[in-house]
Amino acid sequence: MPLSTQSQGDAEQYVLVACLDNARNLSNILKAITFKDHAIFSATPNGLKVTVEDSKCLQANAFIQSEIFQEYTIKEDSVGFQVNLTVLLDCLNIFGGSTAPGVSTALRMCYKGYGYPLTLFLEEGGVVTVCKINTQEPEEPVDFEFCSTNVTNKVILQSESLKEAFSELDMTSEVLQITMSPSQPYFRLSTFGNSGNAHYDYPKDSDMMELFKCTKTQTNRYKMSLLKPSTKALALSCKVSVRTDSRGFLSLQYLVRNDDGQICFVEYYCCPDEEVAED
Amino acid sequence: MKFRGKIIDVACLNHFTRVITTISKLTKMCVLRLTPQNLFFVLSGKVANGGVSMWCELSQENFFDEFQMEGVSPEDNEICLEVTPENLSRALKTVQNAKAVKVKLTKKHCPCLTIAAELPTLSSVSRVVTHDVPVEVIPRRLWHEFKEPSMPDFDVSIYLPPLKTMKNVIDRMKNLSNFLVVEANLNGEMNLKIDTDLVSVSTHFKDLGNPPWGDEASQQGGPSQSRDPDTMAQTRVDIRKLQQFLVGQQVNPSKAMCNIVHERVVHLILLHEDVSLQYFIPAVA
Amino acid sequence: MDCVVTGGNVKVLAKAIHSLSRIGDELYVEPQEDGLALRSVNSSRSAYACFLFAPLFFSRYTIPIGLAFRCKMAIKSVQAVFRSIATLEKTVEKCHIELDDQKNRLTFTLHCKHGLMKTHNLSFQDSESLQAVFDKDSYSNVFRSHPRLLVDTVVHFPPSLEEVTVSLSDDRMWVKNHVEDETDRSKAMLTELCLASDEFDHFSVKVQNSVTFCLKELRGLLVFAESTGLPISMYCDEPGSPVVLSVTDSVLEGNFVLATLSDDSNLRKNNTKRACTPPPPPDDFMNDDMDSYLIAMDTSVMPGPSASRPPSPPLTNSTSLKQTATANHRTRLPSEEEEEEEEEEEAVDSSGPPNKKFCSLFFGSVLPPSSQMTTQPLTGQEVLASDSEDDVQ
Repeated sequence: MPLSTQSQGDAEQYVLVACLDNARNLSNILKAITFKDHAIFSATPNGLKVTVEDSKCLQANAFIQSEIFQEYTIKEDSVGFQVNLTVLLDCLNIFGGSTAPGVSTALRMCYKGYGYPLTLFLEEGGVVTVCKINTQEPEEPVDFEFCSTNVTNKVILQSESLKEAFSELDMTSEVLQITMSPSQPYFRLSTFGNSGNAHYDYPKDSDMMELFKCTKTQTNRYKMSLLKPSTKALALSCKVSVRTDSRGFLSLQYLVRNDDGQICFVEYYCCPDEEVAED
Repeated sequence: MKFRGKIIDVACLNHFTRVITTISKLTKMCVLRLTPQNLFFVLSGKVANGGVSMWCELSQENFFDEFQMEGVSPEDNEICLEVTPENLSRALKTVQNAKAVKVKLTKKHCPCLTIAAELPTLSSVSRVVTHDVPVEVIPRRLWHEFKEPSMPDFDVSIYLPPLKTMKNVIDRMKNLSNFLVVEANLNGEMNLKIDTDLVSVSTHFKDLGNPPWGDEASQQGGPSQSRDPDTMAQTRVDIRKLQQFLVGQQVNPSKAMCNIVHERVVHLILLHEDVSLQYFIPAVA
Repeated sequence: MDCVVTGGNVKVLAKAIHSLSRIGDELYVEPQEDGLALRSVNSSRSAYACFLFAPLFFSRYTIPIGLAFRCKMAIKSVQAVFRSIATLEKTVEKCHIELDDQKNRLTFTLHCKHGLMKTHNLSFQDSESLQAVFDKDSYSNVFRSHPRLLVDTVVHFPPSLEEVTVSLSDDRMWVKNHVEDETDRSKAMLTELCLASDEFDHFSVKVQNSVTFCLKELRGLLVFAESTGLPISMYCDEPGSPVVLSVTDSVLEGNFVLATLSDDSNLRKNNTKRACTPPPPPDDFMNDDMDSYLIAMDTSVMPGPSASRPPSPPLTNSTSLKQTATANHRTRLPSEEEEEEEEEEEAVDSSGPPNKKFCSLFFGSVLPPSSQMTTQPLTGQEVLASDSEDDVQ
């Protein structure tokens, strides 16, 4: 592969080198969390975690395990930096990000360390593109303290059934209200818009419902503007796990299958908008 | 001054439409020159259109089954019109399945290029649609502004990579920057580069080949003859102008070339059978 | 009200609401004994549409007896109920429409695949009855065709075009874009399409004339007609009387009533000048002589091509153009008598300001006295007056 020979001399200086035969395997999953420009990259020997946040109320994480990469070399326990995600995506898709079979962009992503740019070598059909994206010192991501032991309610749905609901959401509603309950209505999405309200009810025995584990009736509201970006993750995913904890925090976990059939995860955390009296 | 042409062949009609559509993506207004052999679509590089010039030449024989014209006079057997190619394109697009399409210069409420098409129907009578596209007749004393631009005294001439690849790259680069450096050498290499506060991107094409300009180039005594093959000639251009050219083109050229006059102009040439499209993008500082 | 729509009819209902949304911003809902009426009217009250779904359209149709109820609501919110219209047929099994009079809520419940249930509670306002007055049987010119013919016709006109003029002869229909402003006409592309009578399933012209109406609403109906494959009937009369477009089958009826330009000197001038277009003789090469324009320009002192527009033709010019038309044997439009009338009118009108306005469909007094519309009593809705009233009087 031309890329691997491209920069042999530099190889030792890099603290992080990650290669993909198909750059879409990275760009696709990054698209699922693109709602703000700044993305915090933290690489460990296990893989790459990319975090995007909005106003300390919403956090999205994409996880790309080291096995997804054809080559993944990290010289430190942890490497962190911050880049402009929109710019990174334009670079990763420089050749158009074609989905045509047999056409793919090979990627070699390198980072020398603090103060250096993130360097991408991309190659498709013998044409090579070199990108140097400026990096910044990473900010510390917010810890949402969402702990699986505190989970009150959990459902796993096939993404398809939620995609429809999310594409039809009444955007004049300021909030999306999620009700999860061991009894009716089981799992309900509600909006309260200018012209009325709408409820989408999923029965617990629906064949779209892979898991239904609700212990207590809980109704929480989340800002529509915060949740809307998660539609991108939903669109790419095949399954989604919806969980709420005792504080009403929401966790959405998406299972995303890439072009090669490998599995990656995207996760969204969202704070509840306000307390709603439970009935 | 009379003009009337007729296209019967579907492939010709389709091709003609694609050429006009290509032009409509490049400019809002342009000049159409009609001669007994050719049609020329001309945009001369004025400040109003960002200094961009265009010259598109079509051999009428390759498109028209009938072509009759009488110019201004026997000596100046030409007709020169200012047209809105978008209108022509729209008119032609709706008549792609026509049995025959006529294009003629008519005197309606104002001078018009009338596109009249006979559309197939299930009934015994054809459906006839006419589009009157207003034009302005350009008086002879202004014709000199719309002559074929001379071949620039370029430093490097190079074949372009597949236009689709180039378009993809430039589409992305446009998201990142307003300006782009195009550089090429006589070794068949071409680079597209942008550089901003956030990112620098350079795409490298190689083995593109350099067209042999032979007599024409040497006549002009261009410096390309004695040039070091590895030295790049480069021009910084408005990325939108280049994008416009690549987005709009529907000519599917058999040959695509680029001439670079170092820090002056990028001259793009598309050839497809008897259609040639030249596009000049001036350098920006 | 309590009714249930199932299967493919859900999509029909959705498409009807979608095409009504091309008319106005509000949906008027009226459950009647003879079915559910959905109506809309545009803000200037020059376009009105009504769908009536017969009780048989529904798998359940119950309305309170002896209790008239009408309401209106934002059409967008009803459209939102049927958002994913493309997949509706596959996903929605049943649609339940229920009125909660107490809560002022109209509830649409969609029972979907996989047990998913979507409930939309829409607020509404009380409203008076909305009813346009028209009588299809009284129209002199009647056509019917498969929607495809009209779809293939409107495709020639740009989406931005507002109005088309339909002109009729015994065996032809001409459709062309209407350009209102004289100065616009020297820049605008003019398109004209000629349809022969045998392209229609039914073609009956008693009065040869031209009417001008809005294209947007026609496109709206076409969306519905094409998806249901129902033939479209078109009824028109003299300028000023509304055009009626309708689709019917055993369980539904849709009528779109569109005002036409009433007293329209522009239109007539337009016709006179453009009458010469179709169909062109086999070879008119020698007739297209542009020299006069060139001469005009070469002697002019105008500096450049952009300023070298020939002066817009004065009124006398139209006469000379008409002569050309006659010389070319390209006569079509009305009889000799009517043409004379036109000229007279033109002479009178040219002195005054242009008088273009669509008449309200609900404002009887601006309709020509000879109008054969039914005189159904207008139910007392104040807003039925014309927006163009001031212009007319």
